[in-house]
Amino acid sequence: MTAAIDPFQLEIIKSSFDTIADDMALTLMRTAHSGIVRDSLDFSTSICDAAGQPLAQGVCTPMQLGSFYDAMRKLLSLYTGRIEQGDVFIFNDPYAADGQHLPDIYITSPVMHEGALCGWSVTVAHHSDVGGIVAGSNAIGVSEIFQEGLRLPIIKLVEAGRPNEALWEVIRTNVRTPDKVEGDLQAQIAACTSGERELIALFARYGTATVLRYADHLQDYAERLTRAELSEIPDGVYAFTDHLDGLGECPEPIVLNVKVVVEGDHVTVDWTGSSPQVKGGINPSFPFTKACAYTALRSVMRADVPNCHGFTRPITVVAPLGSIMNPMFPAPSGARGITGFRMVDCLIGALAQAVPDRVIADSNGGSTLPTIAGYRDGKAFVFCETFMGTWGGAASHDGQEGVPHLGANQSNVPIEMIEADYPLRIERYGFLPGTAGAGRHRGGLGLVREYRLLADEAILNVRSDKRSHPPHGLYGGNPGAPSFNIIVRDGERRIVPVLMTEVEPLRKGDLYRHEMSGGGGYGDPLERDPRKVLWDVIEEKLSVAMTRTEYGVVLKEHDKTFVVDEAETEALRARLRAALRAGA
Amino acid sequence: MPIRRIAADVGGTFTDIALLDDEGRLATCKLPSTPANFADAVVEGALQLLSEVGSPPEAIEALLHGSTVATNLILEHKGAKTALITTEGFRDVLELRRIRVPNLYEPLYVKPEPLVPRHLRLEVSERMLADGSVLKPLDLDSVHTAVARLRDRGIEAIAVCLLHSYANPEHERAVGEILRRDMPECFVSLSVDVLPQKREYERTSTTVINSYIGPPVGRYVEAMVKQMRGSGIGGRLMMMQSNGGILDADSVIRVPAQVVECGPAAGVIGAEHFGRRNGYRDLITLDMGGTTAKASIVEDGALAYADEYEVGGSFSSRSFLAGGGGYALKLPVVDVLEIGAGGGSIAWLDKGGSLKIGPQSAGAVPGPACYGKGNLAPTVTDANVVLGYLNPAVLAGGAVPIEARLAQEAVGKIAAALNCDLLAAAHGIHTVANANMMRVVKAVTTYRGRDPRDFSLFAYGGNGGVHAVDLARVLMIRKVVVPPGAGVFSAIGLLYSRQSSTWTQPFPHVATAFPPEEAEAKFDIMTRRIEEVMGVDRADIEFRHEADVRFLGQAFEITVPFSAAPYDAGAATRLSETFAAEHMARYGHAFAGRFPVEIVNLRLTGTLRGEDPPDLRMRAQAASVLSSRPAYFGPVHGTVDTPVFGRERLDATPRQGPMIIEEYEGTAVVPPDCLASRDSYGNVVIELPASDSPNEARR
Repeated sequence: MTAAIDPFQLEIIKSSFDTIADDMALTLMRTAHSGIVRDSLDFSTSICDAAGQPLAQGVCTPMQLGSFYDAMRKLLSLYTGRIEQGDVFIFNDPYAADGQHLPDIYITSPVMHEGALCGWSVTVAHHSDVGGIVAGSNAIGVSEIFQEGLRLPIIKLVEAGRPNEALWEVIRTNVRTPDKVEGDLQAQIAACTSGERELIALFARYGTATVLRYADHLQDYAERLTRAELSEIPDGVYAFTDHLDGLGECPEPIVLNVKVVVEGDHVTVDWTGSSPQVKGGINPSFPFTKACAYTALRSVMRADVPNCHGFTRPITVVAPLGSIMNPMFPAPSGARGITGFRMVDCLIGALAQAVPDRVIADSNGGSTLPTIAGYRDGKAFVFCETFMGTWGGAASHDGQEGVPHLGANQSNVPIEMIEADYPLRIERYGFLPGTAGAGRHRGGLGLVREYRLLADEAILNVRSDKRSHPPHGLYGGNPGAPSFNIIVRDGERRIVPVLMTEVEPLRKGDLYRHEMSGGGGYGDPLERDPRKVLWDVIEEKLSVAMTRTEYGVVLKEHDKTFVVDEAETEALRARLRAALRAGA
Repeated sequence: MPIRRIAADVGGTFTDIALLDDEGRLATCKLPSTPANFADAVVEGALQLLSEVGSPPEAIEALLHGSTVATNLILEHKGAKTALITTEGFRDVLELRRIRVPNLYEPLYVKPEPLVPRHLRLEVSERMLADGSVLKPLDLDSVHTAVARLRDRGIEAIAVCLLHSYANPEHERAVGEILRRDMPECFVSLSVDVLPQKREYERTSTTVINSYIGPPVGRYVEAMVKQMRGSGIGGRLMMMQSNGGILDADSVIRVPAQVVECGPAAGVIGAEHFGRRNGYRDLITLDMGGTTAKASIVEDGALAYADEYEVGGSFSSRSFLAGGGGYALKLPVVDVLEIGAGGGSIAWLDKGGSLKIGPQSAGAVPGPACYGKGNLAPTVTDANVVLGYLNPAVLAGGAVPIEARLAQEAVGKIAAALNCDLLAAAHGIHTVANANMMRVVKAVTTYRGRDPRDFSLFAYGGNGGVHAVDLARVLMIRKVVVPPGAGVFSAIGLLYSRQSSTWTQPFPHVATAFPPEEAEAKFDIMTRRIEEVMGVDRADIEFRHEADVRFLGQAFEITVPFSAAPYDAGAATRLSETFAAEHMARYGHAFAGRFPVEIVNLRLTGTLRGEDPPDLRMRAQAASVLSSRPAYFGPVHGTVDTPVFGRERLDATPRQGPMIIEEYEGTAVVPPDCLASRDSYGNVVIELPASDSPNEARR
């Protein structure tokens, strides 16, 4: 006999789960040591039920969130019967542990109450370094995972309250930044402890059986909400093709082919027809591929769907084994985030056909990840940050500028913090005028950031994209400007690859400049309100010359400023439309 | 008897006035605000109360004022036309913000517009480094070029924020001098004077806010003083700051950013005072009004402060963690968190069949369905009317007539959809509103490592007393305090506020190896500033010395006491120990001493010494009418005929519920299993049963 479910009690318990997951995120952020965790906020937290199904997740990085369940299932398959109070598990390996990539280290601890396993506190954080061929452990020019750093299968870092000192020592010895890694791991453990404490308090308050019963209903509720949302998307097959520019100096494009099949209240995301796995560190593990699909679909839903496992049930993800979305051992994955961003973008491209009002034209393609590393007084320094971001235009407004990718809600690192902590100087950070894709609603401007090396020498590794395949527009909008990686040495500029397969050695005084791509435009640029074009000129986001070529808008000088020449604009737009028709 | 202090709390809808005579007798009133000139309602209300108690207006020593004017200027984008001058290469820092957005999965999110558009953000050629050394001297020509560009553009205010100015303010000061000379009509603020701290976006944003609201806040203060004088009200105009202290309006208008979000602080100050006088030293405060609920804590008599704040970036239903939704203001603020759960918040069912409250609100107009002003959607107030907690005919002591039938019809829609009876639906709405409020209370307690069970719940605002007991139950809190004047409590809090001022200075040193003489010098700089701002000698000021401290490598500091001089090894050890203990309390670990402790800022707060205003005594008033009505207290107790009366009928002897304390300013609900009494201050004190299980009320 099942007891009745009180919808009000369900809401209380759901709120409690959310609060616990947020509490964990706060603890992790506030006590972490590396810039990428404490400032960029590249981490996620979750509480799960005893079967490893997420109940709630902190507001962090969506692309990490959706992959917790696979990892927890693996853990349970290995350890069921050997899980004790006071255990802390650690793992990162995509093959041995269903992890994501080696820098993302999971720390999870069981929640035991009245002698039984009742749930899990789970965290994952992107660590500043886990060893391997390139500092920061995001190497691109690698062919097997062994080159990428320390592989941790699912093991106990703390066993029944006793720290595994040997393992701590192995980790400290294998990473370039032992203090930061240890500080971040301790912060993850503290977050797990807080989740455990609060979940037990919840069990004590309402009774374990009641909480777990409502937890199951929360999953059903999330599933129901998701199915209701999916039912509103018109049935059909929505296909889209997108590209990664490819690896190294003469890149060969990597193809992403997706078919989104919407049937009633269910959806299948099928990546069949995409490129095979590559000899480079950008192969996402399949759990990560699934998480990216969940992210994109969740983004076009309107309801406040709980971030729990039930939400994923009506979504099936298919990717052939050996494809870049589902690689086989020993494919490397250190810099796989870029492929994840592209999967989300590609899915948004497909979904644009189904729900054009709920998407934006293509964004800058996710964070650019520069790593600058070397040694200072015999100690390694590893600077790494996520440089973001700009969006494409939407049906209702222009592309937003200075925003994260949909898949990773992260922050920039304050320049004043970087300069205090690293032998680097940031010399420029701001908009790149004229880079937006034109449209009725234009894309966001690309950004620029310049890093000057102050140490004697260092290496530079960059994970970026969108030079040969700049962000596409939608419904007649133009693509944004392409991205560039530039090294300036002694006044000489040199363009380097978007996905560097070999690190660039830097000398003191060298400057690395990243020019981000601009967001894609939405709708016909000739339909853009000329006053908005004028405002972009006033705001120094668009040159006067480009108003004519991009938008067919003619400005004239008037009283030391510009005004729209209405008659000339109308005439020019008519000519441009006629030319387009003739060309078509 | 002449009245010395009178308080005015100005909100967007209502202006609350309170005064206290030397014997502690309180008088209050509530008027509609007068947005055309807010001073109108303030002066009208003040004169009304003064004539009521027969006191001459010229005898007033101070009018204590809290206002949402600064906040609204920002939210409504009605501040001064402002320019920003910054370091070459960085003019977009303000607009790029910290990148992060407040909610996940929102491709259609639109960022708030920057307060200074790009074409008014100008760069000057100069560069400081993190250690305060000069990489590139300030190019004066570039400053003159900027001035020339800003001329004749109707600029009213300018903010100056150069990179690393917290480490060396020389360039900022030089730019400031030129601006003050060449553009004397402009309100100029330098980041080093507003927030001398590392992190360029937060410092820039805070300085920009300061400039943006400077001219209109100045005009506001001027109009207020003029109106006071014109009507014969004497004394100084003192304004509440977000740190909970008051300052002379003349000082406030130099750093107006300090008065942004001062409204919520006043209530917490009042709670602290009432608590201290009655021996409740650990309080969770809950201010529940028509559109929002706000929570804060008072711990061992001390307020909780935060200095990461966003104007307009209020607590969202998903998470307050993310940030990015408002305008960053990094000044010390009484840590009050807010959620969209008030009497007017609308209850609705999502597609999964789950009951949600807010964030949509029926507000004051059209208001809850029972107001009969056109809103048909059920609100929290409608549920409380159905439950019998609120008067079925009139609210606010007769000021607002209502129709209970309309509340029943509105709540009936939820009951029909959930296939439950009307009372169950109403109780469900009441309960889910509590669940939402639980999240803000959690955010001020467990997020700091504090256990709500160690606190009493101090509830005010028109609806605070209606929800307090059931909220306390969910949080396992045993005692609820509902003060008198709960509906105008921010004004009462103003009456008990003290002059105070807080400053910080950067002090980047490892705790075990800092130069003591430099610490003393920095504290001395701040002491002199506080003397200057408060206009009194240091002998009359009580100082609180603190340091913002973290483990080396972390990015977030905790503010801990840093005992006064001498700053010797003992002081350093105490600092490290206090910090480690607080870190342990908040986060459950302290790295077992593996990381050194690092000081980031020194912080000094000065508060004017002197006696507290007299304790509140209840005015003699006619005994309220004793009536009764049925009220529903959940499945366990069911519907009970419940006595309804005013608090003067209670005394120090606890009396068993159920009862409803119904007054002009608000209502307090005491369920059958609780005891209620009245303390000497006039607070209604409600005790919850000891072996209470929160399930009980729900089963």
